[in-house]
Amino acid sequence: MARVITVASGKGGTGKTTITANLGIALSKLGKKVLLIDADVAMANLSLILGMQSSPITLHDVLLGEAQVHDAIYDGPNGVQFIPSGLSLDNYKRVDSERLAGIVLQLNEKYDFILLDAAAGIEKNVLSALSASQETLLVTMPTSPALADALKTKIVAQRLNSKVIGVVINFVMSEKGEITKQEISSILELPVYGNVPFDAEVRKSFMQQKIAPVLLRKPDTPASVEIQKIASRLTGIKVPDAPVEQKGFLSKLFSFFGKR
Amino acid sequence: MVIFVVFGFFRSFANRVLDIDDTSKPQAQVDFLHDFLSKHNYVYSNDFEENLNILKKKHLVDSFLVTSMDGSVVVSSDGNGVNEGLIGTAMFSYIKGEMPSSEAVLIKKEDGWFMIVPFNKKIFIIKAGSELSNIELRALALDLSSLLHDNVNEGKSKEAQFAR
Repeated sequence: MARVITVASGKGGTGKTTITANLGIALSKLGKKVLLIDADVAMANLSLILGMQSSPITLHDVLLGEAQVHDAIYDGPNGVQFIPSGLSLDNYKRVDSERLAGIVLQLNEKYDFILLDAAAGIEKNVLSALSASQETLLVTMPTSPALADALKTKIVAQRLNSKVIGVVINFVMSEKGEITKQEISSILELPVYGNVPFDAEVRKSFMQQKIAPVLLRKPDTPASVEIQKIASRLTGIKVPDAPVEQKGFLSKLFSFFGKR
Repeated sequence: MVIFVVFGFFRSFANRVLDIDDTSKPQAQVDFLHDFLSKHNYVYSNDFEENLNILKKKHLVDSFLVTSMDGSVVVSSDGNGVNEGLIGTAMFSYIKGEMPSSEAVLIKKEDGWFMIVPFNKKIFIIKAGSELSNIELRALALDLSSLLHDNVNEGKSKEAQFAR
């Protein structure tokens, strides 16, 4: 039986999709069979982050009953398998996202982890993803608006009987005005699964001729290292600390003073 | 280009070393968020009636009524609802007869929504200000079913204690 986990945040732009893609790869690196599902049927972009935008059969077709779920599964990077959502807006309004739970149930036996990348907000598509999973992992930023939306998402997930297991804090810059990891844990009443630093390499991953998740492009960069720790925590498998990139004196000086 | 980099470097240097960063934690908002979850803490008590009210708050509905398939009332959050139970069950049976694949019936009224959904051989009739998705209706039905189940079990265990 797979652990089915929805990655949700409430607020848009917290980096859910990036975390989902890279977390899937990190879990796969630990020897787990992983399926990623782009459950954001309206604003799908997990396929873009994985560099797999040209997939002829998508979740839309499956939800519409026009294709079998096995025909919509693609081999992604590093052994991860992936069900993309359609990028076209044509089918989006016809799609019945409530069928998602049934689709997940069909695939439960084949994987160790099924990660659902939920949309922002708490509308029907998000409810479908939350109710299709037994567990929810929240992604937030160390700011009050993101935290408020994470709180609402937690309440909604609990209403739908999806257990909220923890929170990943993304885009951490360790600035004075940020809400601390301890405070976020206390406000959400959840353990912090990861404290992912703001990392320019994540952004740069989208600025390549061939887009590849940061964990594949730069596995030793701070964000990649932290995401691997989240995978380790989810599986209980200890991973040796990855060697952090060695920088020269000048590059250390510039990165210390240059990130504000 | 070089000038921008150099200016950026000195600006960051000044921020770090002289601590002229003008950001600060929005403490009032943090305090507000600290209290947020306590307002949504849905813990069941030993009182069945109170638990029904907790479920109303948790699922954001105005009232609900559970009937058996023949329309007899099993439980009502308002303490009555015989007529609504009979009408709701009859309405669902009629629609199910005409459209066998129906999963729920949603009726928009002037003052809100009236929703009927079958679950575990019972009919759940729910009133709310806005419509609930089928997923939300089933989550409420599931919570109510387990509450009813627990209540029946508790009753049985009390009867057993009394018999002893």
